[in-house]
Amino acid sequence: MTPDDMTQSIDEPPVPTGAANGRPRAGVVRARAAAGTRLTDLFSALPWIGPALILIFGVVLFPAVVMIYNSTRDISLSGIDKGSVGFENYETLFAFAPLGGIMVRTVIWVFAVVTIAVLASLALAQFLNKAFPGRQIVRMAVLIPWAASVVMTTLVVYYGLEGYIGIINKFLVDINLIDAPYGWTKNATSAFVWSIGIAVFVSLPFTTYTILAGLATVPADVLEAAKMDGAGRIRTYVAIVLPQLRGALSVAVLINIINVFNSLPILKIMTGSIPGYDADTVMTMIFKYIQNEHKIDVASALSVIAFLIVVVIVAIYVKLVKPMKEL
Amino acid sequence: MKKSLRMGGIVATAALAAVSLAGCGFGGGTASDGADGKATTLNLLVPSYSDNTQGLWETVIKDFEAANKDITVELEVQSWDNLNDVVTTKVQGNKAPDIMNGGPFAGFAADELLYPIEDVVSADTLGDFQESFVESASVDGVQYGAPLLASARALFVNEDLLAQAGVTEVPATWDELLAAATKVSKIGGGVAGYGLPLGSEEAQAESAIWFYGAGGGFGDATEITVDTPENLKGAEFIQKLVEAGATQPDAGATDRSPLMDVFVQGKIGMIIGLPPTVGQIAEGNPEMKYSVNPIPTMDGEPFTLGVADHLMAFKNDGKKQAAITKFLDFFYSADQYVPWVTAEKFLPTTKSGSSAMDSNEDLLPFLEMLPDAQFYPSTNPKWDATNAAFKSLVGQLAQGKDAQAVLSEIQAKADAG
Repeated sequence: MTPDDMTQSIDEPPVPTGAANGRPRAGVVRARAAAGTRLTDLFSALPWIGPALILIFGVVLFPAVVMIYNSTRDISLSGIDKGSVGFENYETLFAFAPLGGIMVRTVIWVFAVVTIAVLASLALAQFLNKAFPGRQIVRMAVLIPWAASVVMTTLVVYYGLEGYIGIINKFLVDINLIDAPYGWTKNATSAFVWSIGIAVFVSLPFTTYTILAGLATVPADVLEAAKMDGAGRIRTYVAIVLPQLRGALSVAVLINIINVFNSLPILKIMTGSIPGYDADTVMTMIFKYIQNEHKIDVASALSVIAFLIVVVIVAIYVKLVKPMKEL
Repeated sequence: MKKSLRMGGIVATAALAAVSLAGCGFGGGTASDGADGKATTLNLLVPSYSDNTQGLWETVIKDFEAANKDITVELEVQSWDNLNDVVTTKVQGNKAPDIMNGGPFAGFAADELLYPIEDVVSADTLGDFQESFVESASVDGVQYGAPLLASARALFVNEDLLAQAGVTEVPATWDELLAAATKVSKIGGGVAGYGLPLGSEEAQAESAIWFYGAGGGFGDATEITVDTPENLKGAEFIQKLVEAGATQPDAGATDRSPLMDVFVQGKIGMIIGLPPTVGQIAEGNPEMKYSVNPIPTMDGEPFTLGVADHLMAFKNDGKKQAAITKFLDFFYSADQYVPWVTAEKFLPTTKSGSSAMDSNEDLLPFLEMLPDAQFYPSTNPKWDATNAAFKSLVGQLAQGKDAQAVLSEIQAKADAG
């Protein structure tokens, strides 16, 4: 069975329109007879889907439940559970004045990184889709930021920006762009902007390759037809290529949103030494609650909020873009 | 069908792995508890002070196991950054270490997880601890920590830079410090007069230098007092240093360790250092001419910030008390303890250790300061929150935020606990 046939047999309405596209109608017959045996079907399927269910419960639901549970407990500094406090941890959180700024910064962080990464990847993928000598090597080179550890990439930039020994700082001074080394990672705004740059850099390989895969599915004959009809390059790209990329793009955006939202290491390294909360996002704030203040309960509460935000964003996105819908 | 069978197998394997992994995190089996009187295993959790730490403990453990065949010691070395997370996770999973080397322990004491120290060391060992450390090792009059090592702070001065700037005398008061540091900064070429690390790494220590130096402080075991007129003077002086350009740039976000490297490279005139700084200079830049001096204070009164780290013993199931006592007594005997603390380049906390080490010239200036040492109120249950507030907030002083506002903000965080 091809995946296409599978969707057919499941989604098929009872009205037999099958003749129109000439496909076999086996699914309809089975669905009619199945009403009484559905439960038996479920049981006979259990051995096959059981392990997957265990996996989902074990690694997805169980930790989420523990997290939600912890967020309603009073956990001491040394990790002892002192009993339930209801929503007190959430109240602590909402009374925390910098939280508003942290939320706004989180939105800026996700929006900026994903937008820039996707736009850059569109251009990059278009370039890599052309045949030119050495394309294979360039394609491999694009993978490097993905293959390198994020922490390592970030540390390289971090030390490059260091005030006394940083090579990037020295370069900027040498080309007279700045007069003296600047504390890029010691001021909230500049550290945040650099972090966005690094996040874009490490997001490029995945996004580019997803789009590249999408480009490969654009049929050559359609492009040729467009050419024959006299469509210009921009027109061809906007009207022919982009719509064909919808599937690849929506997957790339969705996964990037979740990844970037949940990303800790870049911001932790780049903005970690900055006092106050002027460069924090939800993720670094969760980390500060655990690492500096040892408040596992409040950190759990913030994690739950972060979790809900991701769920809401994804729900809105799925509703608007319908990435699962076939063209 | 064959294909899905294989898939099922893969998924089942993954599920099994996931479930057994989850099992590990939530209360798996514990090591043998020695109830049968045979082999007892002691779990020892220590942070890493230097690259030598692991080897030093392994030597102690080897000697101890040779002398006590029925006890084995499992060593776990963690970085200071991770130590707290590791022990919190262990406590949550009912797998607390038997002996731990750490900083603040008031939280563990409050949760009744610790043995009072007199229950796990002999009277001789207990009497050998220097009295000045006992108070900061106790909560409500009960001593829970066995002082392990101490450090004191002092002003490290790069003599060459000061001479180059025309400063002839090492500053003893704030006014002298400001004048000297400003002159050194004027040398230019990336040279800073005073190294001010108000970044999160150890912001509380640098703040203490100025707050205690102004006659203020952080409070005591019952009350945290950050927002006081004396501390305000200290905070305002920090801002004065920054505004005068007497410090390195971005003082509010500069961490201590990287800044110390810059001092060792000879680019900073004065900085507050620790006993291990002596070794760092000997290793990194032995040609540098430097001196170790008392910390300048507002009126020139001598003061140093002392920090003592402790060994603490967790009760767990209460069956290992005898083994823990044996280990601690063994460790604190002078022929084990003195080589250990010497190699780590810290100050001893026992009387016998102190008298064995007073011929050590590197440490002499620090040993002399120790009687004037002030300690953090680390037995105050709110100290952890205070400490965290300093780390994340006090750097704003160097970014030009109003000093009073910063103090109030820290006080509020500390009071919230």
